Amino acid sequence: MGHATTHTDLSSQNIQLPAIALNLRKLAIGVAVVGLGGGAAIGYTGAFGTDAHHFWRAYLIAFLFGLTMCLGGLFFVFVQHLTRAGWSVAVRRPAEALAANLRWIWVLFLPFAALWMMGKANIVWIWADMETLKANNEAEFLIVEAKTAFLNPTFFWIRACVYFVVWAALSHFFLTNSVRQDESGDRAISSRMQKFSAPTAILFGLTITFAAFDWIMSLSPAWFSTMFGVYFFCGCATAGFAMMILITVRLTQVGALKGIVSREHFQDMGKLMWAFGIVFWAYIGFSQYMLIWYANLPEETGWFLARQIGGWGFFSFALLFGHFVLPFVGLLSKWMKRAPLILSIGAVWMLCFHYVDLYWLIMPEIPSDLDTFAKYADMSAKYADTQTHFGNPVNFLLALGVAGTVIAGTISTLSRVALVPKQDPRLAESIRFENM
Amino acid sequence: MATIVTNPPETKLNQPAPAGARLFGMLAEFETPGDLMAAAEKVRDAGYKRWDCHTPFAVHGLDGAMGIQRTWLPIFVFFAGATGTIAAFILQAFTNSWSLTTWAGVWVTGYPFLISGKPAMSLPAFIPVMFELTILFSALACVKLMFLFNGLPQLYHPLFKSNRFRRATNDRFFISIEARDPKFLPKKTEEFLRSLDPIAVEAVEE
Repeated sequence: MGHATTHTDLSSQNIQLPAIALNLRKLAIGVAVVGLGGGAAIGYTGAFGTDAHHFWRAYLIAFLFGLTMCLGGLFFVFVQHLTRAGWSVAVRRPAEALAANLRWIWVLFLPFAALWMMGKANIVWIWADMETLKANNEAEFLIVEAKTAFLNPTFFWIRACVYFVVWAALSHFFLTNSVRQDESGDRAISSRMQKFSAPTAILFGLTITFAAFDWIMSLSPAWFSTMFGVYFFCGCATAGFAMMILITVRLTQVGALKGIVSREHFQDMGKLMWAFGIVFWAYIGFSQYMLIWYANLPEETGWFLARQIGGWGFFSFALLFGHFVLPFVGLLSKWMKRAPLILSIGAVWMLCFHYVDLYWLIMPEIPSDLDTFAKYADMSAKYADTQTHFGNPVNFLLALGVAGTVIAGTISTLSRVALVPKQDPRLAESIRFENM
Repeated sequence: MATIVTNPPETKLNQPAPAGARLFGMLAEFETPGDLMAAAEKVRDAGYKRWDCHTPFAVHGLDGAMGIQRTWLPIFVFFAGATGTIAAFILQAFTNSWSLTTWAGVWVTGYPFLISGKPAMSLPAFIPVMFELTILFSALACVKLMFLFNGLPQLYHPLFKSNRFRRATNDRFFISIEARDPKFLPKKTEEFLRSLDPIAVEAVEE
C-alpha cells in the first residue's frame, strides 16, 4: 500500500495459465459429459417422472444459464472500453475469454433446431403449432394469432441466427484485437476498440432484448412486458460478473497474476455484481411486478399468478430473499468484497440463485382455465398442489453440463493467450489502482 | 501567529507573536506526495496520535500510511437507511391502513382509504416510498455525519496563520503535529520532523 509498484512481474510464469488449471479443464469436460449425457438419459428414459415438456424446458434453462455468463462477460468488456476505464485492464482478459465462448455457444442451441425439425417445437414454445394451440385454448390463440407476423418459425430462426452471429462477431472482435495488442503494443488498437464499443452497446442491447422476448417471454405468448429485456440483462450481469470473479480468484489461487490483480480489483468486480446483479435486478423485477399488480389487467396478471400458485409461492419468496435480500446485506460492506474467499462464496451463491431465477422465469405455466373461476381463492385451491419439480436431478445435470462446457471453453481460450493485456497502455494504471 | 523556525517569512503577514501565545503544533512542508507518504509512515510509527496530513488533492494510500482507523460512518448510514425504511412503512400503514388514534404531537387518527380496489394494507404500493425514504435517510445521515465526524464546518484553524501553509491548496504537502499530542515535546518533535527530510519546519501558535 502506498508505494507505487515500480516493477511488475510480466514474465510468462505469472501471466500464462499454470498447468494445474488444465486439470480443472479435464474436470469441467467430465462434468459437461456426465451432466449433458446424464440429463439426456433421464430425459430419454423419463426417469424421476421427467416428461418431454419438463426436459426441454430444463434444457432451455441450462442453455440460458451458460449463455448469460458469456453475455455478462461481453457486457463487462465493452463497457470498459466505452467508459475508457483504467482500473479494469488487469482483469479484462478473463472476461474476454468468457465472452469468447459466444463464438461456439450456438452449438448448444442446435437441439432446439432438431426439436423443430421433428415438428415438436410446441413442447417448449406453444405458438410453434398454432393448430394445436387453437384446439387447446382458443382465447389464447386469438391473442397470439395477431402476433404471428413476428412470432412465426421462419422469423424466429432468422432472428436466432442474427443474435448468434452478432454475439460471435463482437466477442471475436474484442478478444482478437486485445490479443493482437499483446504482440504489437499498438495503441491504435485501444482506440479502435473504444470506437466500436458504442455500436456494440446498441447491438448488445437490441440482441439480448429480442433474445429474451423470443426464448423466454414467448413461452407465454399471450403475455407481454416491455421491461422483460432489461430483466434478462440483469440476469446476464449477475451470471457474468459472478463467473468473472470466480475465474479471477481461481487464477490468483493457482499462482498467476501476482502483483497484478489485487483486492482493489476484487472490490470493484464485487461492486459491479452487487449493483447490477442484486440491486438493479430487484429494482427491475419489482418495477415489472408493481405495474402489473397495480393495473390488474387480466391478460398481464396471469403470468404472476402462475408464479404464486402451489409450490411456486414459496419459490418466488425464496428467489426474492436469495437473489436480493440476503446477498444485499451480505455483500453491502466493502470488507466483504475485498476478501476473495467471501466474494467467491457470494459469487457462487449468486450463480445458484441466477439459476433459480431462470427456473422461475421458464418453468411455471399459466393455467389455461383462469376465466372459469369466480374468485381467486377457488383458483388457488384448485392449483394448491402444483409442483415446481425443482428437485428433479435433470435440472442440475443439464445446468452443470452447460456450465462445465462454458468453463472448459474459457480455460481453453485462456491457455492460448496471456492472462492480462500485457501491452495495454493502461495496464500500469490498473495495477496501481486503489479504491481508497 | 506563526513563528518561523527555519526560512524567514516572505510577506509581512506574519506579525511577531504576542507574549504568552500558546503553541498549536509543528508544521513540516514536503515537495512531493511520495516524500509526504514516506514521512507519514514514520510519524505513524513514532506513535503520534494528534496529527494530520494536508494535501492539495487526494493522495491514494495515505490512509494506510497514516494508520487511520476504519471509519464508523457506514454503520451509522446503514441504520439510518433502515430507519428510513421502517419510518416510510409506518407512515403509509398508519395513514392508509389503520384507523388508529395516537398521539404524535397532537392527537391524530388514521384514515383508511380505498385506492383502486386494493386491500388497505398493500405492501407493493408502499415499497417505492420505502425505497425513496431509505435513500433519503441514508444520504442525509451520510453527509451530516461526515461533516460532524470531521468537525466541519470549521471556519478557523490555527494553521491558516502560516504563510507556507497557503500552498497546501496548490502544490505543497504538509504534516502537522499538534501540541496536544501526548508525545509532543517542542524541541524533540521539531528534531523528529527535520529528520524526515522536509523542505521546512515551523512552529505554529494558536
